[in-house]
Amino acid sequence: MLLQPKAKNARSKRFLTNRDPKVFENPKTSIFVRGSTTSQVVLDTLKDLYSLSKPNAINFTKKNQIHPFDDETGIEFFSRKNDSSLFAVGMHSKKRPHNLILGRTFNHQVLDMVEMGVERCTTIKEINSRVCAAGTKPLMVFNGEAFAQNEQMIRLKNILLDFFRGESADKVSLKGLECVITVTAGPTGINGEPGLVFLRTYTTSLKKSGVRQPRIELEEMGPALDLRIRRVRYPTDEMWKQATKIPKELYQPKVKNISRDGLGDKYGRVHLGKQGIEKIQTSKVKALRKRLDNKPSKRQRTDDADES
Amino acid sequence: MDVSGILAEHESRSKAIQVDRLIPVEHDLGVLASFDINMLDDTKLRAGQKARDNYLKGVSREGTQLLINELFSLPTTTDDDSVYASLPKTTTILPREKPIPKEKPMTRWEKFAKIKGIQNRKKSRMVFDDNQGEWRPRYGYKGVNNDDQKPWLVEVPLNADPEKDQFQARREEKKERINKNQRRQQRNLEEGAMSDKRKHPQQMRKRELQKALVLSKSSTASMGKFDEKLEGEPKIKGLKRKFDPLVAAAGKEKSKNMDILSRVAKGDTSATVLNVRKAQRAINNSKRTKK
Repeated sequence: MLLQPKAKNARSKRFLTNRDPKVFENPKTSIFVRGSTTSQVVLDTLKDLYSLSKPNAINFTKKNQIHPFDDETGIEFFSRKNDSSLFAVGMHSKKRPHNLILGRTFNHQVLDMVEMGVERCTTIKEINSRVCAAGTKPLMVFNGEAFAQNEQMIRLKNILLDFFRGESADKVSLKGLECVITVTAGPTGINGEPGLVFLRTYTTSLKKSGVRQPRIELEEMGPALDLRIRRVRYPTDEMWKQATKIPKELYQPKVKNISRDGLGDKYGRVHLGKQGIEKIQTSKVKALRKRLDNKPSKRQRTDDADES
Repeated sequence: MDVSGILAEHESRSKAIQVDRLIPVEHDLGVLASFDINMLDDTKLRAGQKARDNYLKGVSREGTQLLINELFSLPTTTDDDSVYASLPKTTTILPREKPIPKEKPMTRWEKFAKIKGIQNRKKSRMVFDDNQGEWRPRYGYKGVNNDDQKPWLVEVPLNADPEKDQFQARREEKKERINKNQRRQQRNLEEGAMSDKRKHPQQMRKRELQKALVLSKSSTASMGKFDEKLEGEPKIKGLKRKFDPLVAAAGKEKSKNMDILSRVAKGDTSATVLNVRKAQRAINNSKRTKK
């Protein structure tokens, strides 16, 4: 484990505090790591995925002896060193040819990962068409039933969403919707195992349609990947719970009894409790006033005497 | 009035952006994503690469069109040169990168100020120095707070020792103040660490002291039996010296002695004879002396 170094000056202190846990987090950084043996297919895939997730990405250009599914320490070390929480590892072996691992870390510990075989990769360079600018937020479209039913595919969907989400924003420029990443689930196998996953990337062009919404046309940009899921590591319940906790500052309590209609008018519903009729203050009469000490009033006393 | 013509025109216009889906598509506009669970054409997906890619492009176009339709009907704000759609909150649960930051433990002063209702007031960093007629920092380098360190004249108090260096006294006073503050800082840190573990700081300190006491007792041959007792010293459990009885059964004593003898005679392996802990200590000691 790396020890937290102590800052020696203000600049390095600022740098280190930027790495501390925050309520509003920095955009996630991804690292692209190559294993000890790689193939050209895997290298191309890594390179193109890197160019898609720029500028919040770090590309490793040297080989590393790492096998995240067998030993997590290597990738956790890289995560800590680079302050990253997403990783892509590419390797190639006889047993698992053209292997691509996409995963996430939480608090610099592996949260979940998916291992896939790259069956085909058509790179950006091969397609050689218009390329969207780095750092644009892509639209993501997931097609297929499997992304709602199959456990492995749901995990993959979540990881891919995290990978290409970029910086979280509360508004987006309608002109800047340049890039689309679509992920389509291929037909499932006989035993219900997930089929191929087709990841395609397109650039968009907005055409006038006569109404407010434009007509969209797509042009393939690359990379185009055909992937087959191999192994999946799910997060532990404890870790997932920790990772998905919503901080107090971001938690919005449910607003009750306030509604709006289509015209933007605001309606409030008010609930009244039961009226306490007994406690209503009526006209103040001295005779009816309660005395602090429980002595009967003068008048009452004389009444009692009369009776006897 | 016949509006069918207008309606037909509108329909023909919106045809360009219309996409039919059997099951309505779910959108998560916070992350600009859509999830379409409609059936796909398996034969086309199994077909050759070109046919498949064409089919995928068609499906993607339709999916994107639906997503764009949703995005363009969001409320917008206009900036200098661009139109922005304000996005709703994401519905997909995506994990955080790091855990939620812990709240900083309160220092003693902060606790006190909270009870008393004392609020922090901003102080300017610079203060005007009347004597020198210029602005100077309140603290730090060339700060006003160092003024008592270098006066050109110090009055000797009436009952003070005339030989005593009053300049030195001021320096020492300041040093003492700094030390005191550092001690308090340390205490706050320790107390904060304790409250993280949900333990009472005073009790923790007490327990640590007791631990040290037990350790010191065990270092005498009699296990602290004849040591001076402290006031309110707790009775320590589990510290006992064990002696074998002077007179025991003959067989037991014999076997014990024979055991020792046989070990010596055999020249037993070091593993059983060697006192590992003692050896380790010896090695460590020698290392330390070498340094």
